[in-house]
Amino acid sequence: MSMFDEGALIDALSAAANGFEISNDATDRILSEAQASVPAARSFTAPAFLRHPGRARTFVMAAALVVVVSAISLPLLRSEGVQPKTAVEVHGAEARAGSQLSVTGTGFTKTLVQSPRPVSAAASSTSSGSATGLSDSSLSLSPKIESNGSVALTVGVGHVESSLTKLGDLVTSDGGFVLSTKANARTRGSGEFSNGTIVLQVPQRTFATLVTQVQRVGHSRSIVTSSTDVTSQYVDLRARITALEASRRQYLSIMTRATSISDILAVQSQLNVLQSQIEQFQGQMNVLNSETTYGTLTVNLTEAGQPSNVTPHRSGLAKAWHDAVAGFVAGFEWLIRLSGPVLFAVLCLGTLFALGRFVRRAARRRRI
Amino acid sequence: MEGSSDVDDLEAWLKEGYPQSVRTAYLILGNRSDAEDAVQEAFLRAWKFRDSLSRESSFKPWIYRVVVNTCNSKLRQEIPHRDRRSSDDDLAEATTGDDVPGRIALAHDVMRALKDLPAHLRVVIVLRYYADLSEREIAVAIDRKQGTVKSRLNEARRRLGEHPALRPETAKDPTSRKEATG
Repeated sequence: MSMFDEGALIDALSAAANGFEISNDATDRILSEAQASVPAARSFTAPAFLRHPGRARTFVMAAALVVVVSAISLPLLRSEGVQPKTAVEVHGAEARAGSQLSVTGTGFTKTLVQSPRPVSAAASSTSSGSATGLSDSSLSLSPKIESNGSVALTVGVGHVESSLTKLGDLVTSDGGFVLSTKANARTRGSGEFSNGTIVLQVPQRTFATLVTQVQRVGHSRSIVTSSTDVTSQYVDLRARITALEASRRQYLSIMTRATSISDILAVQSQLNVLQSQIEQFQGQMNVLNSETTYGTLTVNLTEAGQPSNVTPHRSGLAKAWHDAVAGFVAGFEWLIRLSGPVLFAVLCLGTLFALGRFVRRAARRRRI
Repeated sequence: MEGSSDVDDLEAWLKEGYPQSVRTAYLILGNRSDAEDAVQEAFLRAWKFRDSLSRESSFKPWIYRVVVNTCNSKLRQEIPHRDRRSSDDDLAEATTGDDVPGRIALAHDVMRALKDLPAHLRVVIVLRYYADLSEREIAVAIDRKQGTVKSRLNEARRRLGEHPALRPETAKDPTSRKEATG
């Protein structure tokens, strides 16, 4: 319902608007001006896809969608892609559980994919101030790599012992040996084993082959391997030993020229100290040699249906609680990981939205 | 050849819509020469961007959109920066005709009431009650949603209803209108 007399308003508007005559001069002027600007009028052409607002909007929306999807998926894919580069490699259907159960804490300090770096002269010179006495052979030293690993296997019922034997045969055929073996009986007094652990040492060059062969013995639940480059430590030890040996040779020549007993005793004392240091470093180098010559692989064997020999047994309630906590933490981690891409996507969308509004307003102003 | 046929189109447009457009622009701007300038500019712009007409449902709201945009642009940029010729002068020309004095007085009052309205409300009132556009057509003409048109019309009606010259009791009686407007 209007609050005034609409009829009166219409009459008044007509009276006000129709109160003057309109000459034809103005229309003639418009026509002549239009005639003069014919080529100019036709010269303006917007790109075809922009002449249709619907298509332009679709184009902008598609671009925005691509940006958003890329913003979310790329960081996630990248974070997923990082996993194989870490020291821990997990395989198998029970990978998650396996990774918790079978890691034995053998000091995984380097990434698996790290390529052995060649030892350069610069590296040698920075390793120790006494490296001047290094021979040429030490400069072309091959990389010294320590390899360790752990494999968790599930074998058929009653096959633990035979699997241990098979693993022993494998390592022997690869030129290695069994460092230790441990097996637990299923029940007290029974002759059958429900789980066991065997530690294998194999030459570095066949370590990867052994890991592959071991997986065929049973169903692998998890595999953890790591490599550590100890070349710099090795070079450093060699340089120290070389320097100490040079000093010892100097003292030996002094000894030949010593005339008094006290001089001989003093030189002898110094020689003893040097000899002791040389042997200490030599021992460390031998350990490094041994560790880099042989890789160590620990294999945990469990009968199918038996709990792992590493994981403590949990009751249903404890397991549920543990799963709940793990799920909560995983969800929280996921949220934190997702917040970055989402924030980025929101910023992109906001920018696009603001830009779209600005362009739309500008287009509306210019359109007519 | 194409250019001449396009100019023929413009001629047809001018015949069809020029007088009504000038009068509409006059009600919006309150000044005859500004209205003629605005409409001339509007028709030239409309003709320049005539390709966009193919997407519109009909010519009438489309040409009104161009006219309204040009009027708004004049109200924003040009008219506030110079002394405006009063609409009363145009109406004084109108009084030389054979109109009755009461009708002319009402026209004066309405023009004054319109001038008191903000431009966006004035436009919808003029398009609705003078150009006789429907709410949907007004929405096309001002490039807003129909709901916006409705709310603007309601607001404009409310304000006009408060104006002394357009109160129902004074609108019917010219004597009381003169007293009300002073």
